[in-house]
Amino acid sequence: MRLDDFQTGLVELLPRLRRFARVLRSRDADAQDLVQQTVERALAARTKFRTGTRLDSWTFTIMKRIAIDEGRSAQRWGRVVSPEDDSTARVPDASQADETLRADALAVREAIHALPDDQKHAVALVLVEGLSYGEAAEVLGVPAGTLTSRLVRGRQSLMQTLAAQGVTG
Amino acid sequence: MNAFDDETLMRWIDGELSRDESARLEAAALTDVDLAGRMQAVRRLRTAAREAFPATVDARDAHLARLISAGPVAGPSLFARFGQALADAFTPRLAVAWAGLATAAFIGGVLIGPMLGGGSDGLRVSAEGVLADRGLVRVLDSRLASEGPDGDGRGVGLTFQDGERHWCRTFQSHDHGMAGLACREDAGWTVRVLAPLGAAGGEVRTASSDTPEAILAAVDAAIAGQAADAAAEARAREAGWR
Repeated sequence: MRLDDFQTGLVELLPRLRRFARVLRSRDADAQDLVQQTVERALAARTKFRTGTRLDSWTFTIMKRIAIDEGRSAQRWGRVVSPEDDSTARVPDASQADETLRADALAVREAIHALPDDQKHAVALVLVEGLSYGEAAEVLGVPAGTLTSRLVRGRQSLMQTLAAQGVTG
Repeated sequence: MNAFDDETLMRWIDGELSRDESARLEAAALTDVDLAGRMQAVRRLRTAAREAFPATVDARDAHLARLISAGPVAGPSLFARFGQALADAFTPRLAVAWAGLATAAFIGGVLIGPMLGGGSDGLRVSAEGVLADRGLVRVLDSRLASEGPDGDGRGVGLTFQDGERHWCRTFQSHDHGMAGLACREDAGWTVRVLAPLGAAGGEVRTASSDTPEAILAAVDAAIAGQAADAAAEARAREAGWR
């Protein structure tokens, strides 16, 4: 079947969507669910996508909204979440190719996961995904100054955490 | 000593400072060891964050790719458009491993093969997407489709020019278990898309039916005009793909 530009772009984006999801969700299965939901919602909303818009920013925005909605829902239902979730979150997952990551990289991953959500989102989009401050602010729906201050606080926190752990990262 | 705060250093490494501001900061670092160390620290963190979350191909992308491709689209099928050209490029006796479907993957700075379990050493691609696998670069530089795969199972399929007149070639690397599309840019052969080759199972397959659809989709998105015939392909090679 012939794919149009939108579909091709979305297929090409999958590795980056998964990477962003893995910053937002520490458990691999949760990250995969987030990618799938994002793809489904993007397909359903494709008529709203305007040519000339960056497909990556547009799709990241969808994923961020889903993640935030899920986060609120999880907080409401937090009391019924199985306590084993916390322990399984640290189990190495072959599908994430963890075995190829250095111990330092794993420490950095954990430190990023431990950031408050607003800082984590800023770090994910700028440091990991390489978006500009303007693009990241648009995805997060915040003024550029807010994005910048979240980014600075998040990074200062990461540097302190990693320095305390002796990670050269 | 404190003229440059943390935010300025972060803006610098993120490419958010103007050229003049960056130059001023970098000049100051030449004589300020403390500043140079802080700049190094923000650089290390940025690198470490990227290493901590590599963009990887994932077997589950195949399901998502099918989900994405299930929507209604217009125009002739990719197989109809490119099938004959691929059949011309690969005679059945040479088409060893264009099999399986897959997962398209745009990549950066990632060692790809081992994650797929498809190869011994992985396929090396720089962070900018430039192919760094010397054997495959040699094949893309010099091999014609009519010559089929080399002794290591590396071969080329379609050759064409994209909208910016870059020469692009589809390729397969049996050892890496990958098929892909790369275009010749100033820095070298830049990988546009990769997809895992399925298990050939010893069966000889034809290129036209077994080229991963993700690759055909990428060709379709990039191609300007028609795929090159054998003569045009040979001329492009002689001209150094310029």
